[in-house]
Amino acid sequence: MKKPDHDTFREWLQLETAGDTDLSPERRESLASHVAECPECQAERRDLAHVSQVLARGRLAVRADFRQSVIEALPAAGWESRHPRTWRFPGSVAVLFGLVAAAFFGRGTAASGSPIWGALLAIASFFRATLVAGLGLMQASWKGLGLVCGEIFSSWPALAAFAVLVICLNLLLLSLVRRRAAAPSRH
Amino acid sequence: MTRDAEMPTDEELVAAVLKGDRERFGDLIDRYQGRLVNYLFRLLRNADDAHDMAQEVFVKVYQVLDRFDPQYRFSTWLFRVAQNAAIDQIRRRRLKLVSLHQEDEGGETRDWDLPSGDRGPYGELRNRERGDAIQEAIDGLPWEYRELILLRHMAELAYEEIARLKGMPLGTVKNKLFRGRQMLKDKLRDFVTD
Repeated sequence: MKKPDHDTFREWLQLETAGDTDLSPERRESLASHVAECPECQAERRDLAHVSQVLARGRLAVRADFRQSVIEALPAAGWESRHPRTWRFPGSVAVLFGLVAAAFFGRGTAASGSPIWGALLAIASFFRATLVAGLGLMQASWKGLGLVCGEIFSSWPALAAFAVLVICLNLLLLSLVRRRAAAPSRH
Repeated sequence: MTRDAEMPTDEELVAAVLKGDRERFGDLIDRYQGRLVNYLFRLLRNADDAHDMAQEVFVKVYQVLDRFDPQYRFSTWLFRVAQNAAIDQIRRRRLKLVSLHQEDEGGETRDWDLPSGDRGPYGELRNRERGDAIQEAIDGLPWEYRELILLRHMAELAYEEIARLKGMPLGTVKNKLFRGRQMLKDKLRDFVTD
């Protein structure tokens, strides 16, 4: 093998100082014997080691609460909601619900056809009932809202009392917002 | 460098986080916070900005952690995100050179802690001079050398990782680092002799 020249040894010196793992044991050995005889490379090694030390000493200390502040700042990432674990519980509840519905409602309708068809019909009926109940509730709440509005606009004193209530609530909200803005933010 | 058999790799930690173990992301933060903050500190020249940006980088990486390709190294990915973010910030505002001594909200000056064995007034002064000299020396390097020096000495990335991150042949990375270190050595001559 051709003996490396002085410049190659200088390159290897840098790799050695930088802790590079590319430098094979043979090269390290060859470098050591060259440096032992070469005053220029000895000085180079000393200087490079000092540069590394100076850079290491100039490192900034990380804030003690840095880790905690990052953890607190982590948002709910999109991939978290797509994770199977997120859907495990609601999925299990849905399956359990389906099974219970099939067991209870499927039995009664089994006579009209296959038990599976009966169970599916029963589940569909249940969802229909839920939908009807939801619509009914919504209708009732609109009706309730209409009654409240009717009551408010029925007389001037009631309307004035309502206006005072709205103004007070807005003032309260404004003071809360101001207090939050004035509070020192944690950095 | 030998790897502790008990210590999980970055890729194992990422896999654990993706399985729902959020705490393991804290281990990744512990592993990289020093290198990341120091890397950004030398690029942005401001300790507060470096901390803020390091936090942003960790958050950004967490948000898209599911896109991490385990065939690459986590560190390469992390520092690529950091470098892009830092370059964006540098482009957005013209940075003025600031000292390591900074004023807090009350106008009081506060020194950032640069760990060192030097103690006492002379040691403190020396630390301050050293901090400024390092920054000046790094700033004085041409950008192509400067970024490689920071990736190697502050981010502590391996040559192969730097080559992959920069899209350069390994030989070019080694060459540029060689020249960059020579320049740095000349600029830090006063400090390498003490």
